[in-house]
Amino acid sequence: MKTLFSSYHVWAYLAFAIVILALPLIGDEFWLNRVAKYLCYGMLGAAVALTWGYAGILNLGQGLFFGIGAYAMAMSLKLKSYTSMQQGSETPVPDFMLWNAEPGAPTDLCCITPGSWLWIPFQSQWVGLIVAVVLPAVFAYIMGRIIFGQRISGVFVSIITLALVLLTRLIVTDAQPLTNGFNGLTDLGWFTVFGVELDPYSKVTYMVVAVALIIVLALTRMLVATRAGTILQATRDSDTRALYLGYDVPAYQSFFFAVSAGIAGLAGMLYVIVAEFASPSFLELSFSVTMVVWAAVGGRGSILGACIGAILINMLEARVSETESLVEAWKLIIGFVFVIVVIYLPKGLSGLAHDLMSKLQSAPKLSSVQKEEAHQ
Amino acid sequence: MNAVALELDGLAVDFSGFRAVDGVSMAVAHGELRVLLGANGAGKTTLMDLISGKTKSTEGRVYVHGRDVTNQREHKIARAGVGRKFQIPSVFSGLTVRQNLEVAQSGQPGVFANLKMRLDTEAQERLDETLDLIGLTDEAETEAGVLSHGQTQWLELGMLMIQNASVILLDEPTAGMTAGETAKTAEIINRLKGKHTLLVVEHDMAFVRDIAERITVLHLGKVLAEGNVAFIENHPDVKAAYLGKQGIS
Repeated sequence: MKTLFSSYHVWAYLAFAIVILALPLIGDEFWLNRVAKYLCYGMLGAAVALTWGYAGILNLGQGLFFGIGAYAMAMSLKLKSYTSMQQGSETPVPDFMLWNAEPGAPTDLCCITPGSWLWIPFQSQWVGLIVAVVLPAVFAYIMGRIIFGQRISGVFVSIITLALVLLTRLIVTDAQPLTNGFNGLTDLGWFTVFGVELDPYSKVTYMVVAVALIIVLALTRMLVATRAGTILQATRDSDTRALYLGYDVPAYQSFFFAVSAGIAGLAGMLYVIVAEFASPSFLELSFSVTMVVWAAVGGRGSILGACIGAILINMLEARVSETESLVEAWKLIIGFVFVIVVIYLPKGLSGLAHDLMSKLQSAPKLSSVQKEEAHQ
Repeated sequence: MNAVALELDGLAVDFSGFRAVDGVSMAVAHGELRVLLGANGAGKTTLMDLISGKTKSTEGRVYVHGRDVTNQREHKIARAGVGRKFQIPSVFSGLTVRQNLEVAQSGQPGVFANLKMRLDTEAQERLDETLDLIGLTDEAETEAGVLSHGQTQWLELGMLMIQNASVILLDEPTAGMTAGETAKTAEIINRLKGKHTLLVVEHDMAFVRDIAERITVLHLGKVLAEGNVAFIENHPDVKAAYLGKQGIS
């Protein structure tokens, strides 16, 4: 039973991988660019499922990690943009910094605006890439050590994470000379790998995102299948029991919290590559709450389920936004879907699929038992 | 064999003036089963909280196999060999019975040591043995959340066995059980005796007679008497303080 059970999981992941890898065969570049964004959201959904479903930590500030990843990459790509070379300096300087500079400030990253030197390492796109993943993870680990080390749990963790993302949004919008404030970072250049420029409207870029998503899903699924993953779920069910078995519960929670943050950072980074902008809207509360809805609808108990939930909801939203009369109603519709799912499908779409599969699997088993009985 | 497994030396806790446990000293030998008796508020559960690190003591020391574990963090004390079963059974309800026991096998508690897929064969065998011992072999793939009350208690006992705790603290292991379930629990506990050192809080006197060798009676946070079942049953102070005029029924 256990092998059957796990094998259909493997098939589900394979089927998903094949579908997203095959999409370039049927769609044009414009459509693929849009789907690539949804795949980034899918990755974000998986990150939410990892903490919410497996660790029982409802993070209402996951957008913080997505935002850090997005901004780190956007800083690198902004410096690669042709707009950064038009300030009359030898080295790239973002256009908005010139607009925000004090009169007479030297046109150089070192000191054009207060704190602009922070941008200097981002002249390498690889720094942007590494910071996008590592900084959220490290930040989350430290946060986790402090929060979980104090035995804070449940709704209080949600409130703290919620406050942190809003605080960060305030800082980012306020630091106009450093971040371009409300306007975010736009007019970005392209990421380059082995001499190939990742044009957001190209099949290559789509494939990069698709492959990254498949790798992240597979690794995350493997991670939760390890003993450590089981122990994490154990801490979700009863942290006291786990503690009295000798497990350092905050260490487990912080580790997986950091992994989830790293995935969210990666998603944000890829999103910037395909969407060509980073904006403080990533740090809005509504965005972080939306991610939770994706995971709830897809099924927070399943990495793949939450990912598919995110993709489906965004596809639906895109479809709805083409009908003008429904645009205004979208928030209502998604709210209604959320309520329905919470009441009737607490395990989301993946829970539904799981129940269907178990029924399909138990049906032939029953008949074999009946056959045996008939034989006797 | 007669080495002391658990030693308490003048253990006390002061909750801003109220001393729930007030200078308790006792020594439990390796492999011994000790029953803690006492009326409500005598300090039995608090004593267990002090030993397992849930509550910090204000005076005295706790030694496990001669090692001072006083006021260490809970998971450190657990790693020193102290296992605990709570009054309200606590298992991992979202995991299967087998997974519960897998998690209980906490020989290597670090995060990175556990980034592997499965247990070795020896550990698997031990797991199967334990399943058999607690009579949950058929329920191995069942989610622990749907077990009956008795089964949940046995699962928790199984987890303590597999955790390989040398000192096991049991807080009312038969609370809310039917007579049949109580008998089976007594059987499991009797099997633990000898290999593990047990400290059991229990009210059910029939059950106590089934399992107990020595009894320690607590009263208002202090040790009132200590001895075998017959000695305790006939002890005048115990009768007065705890059992009332009727004696043990």
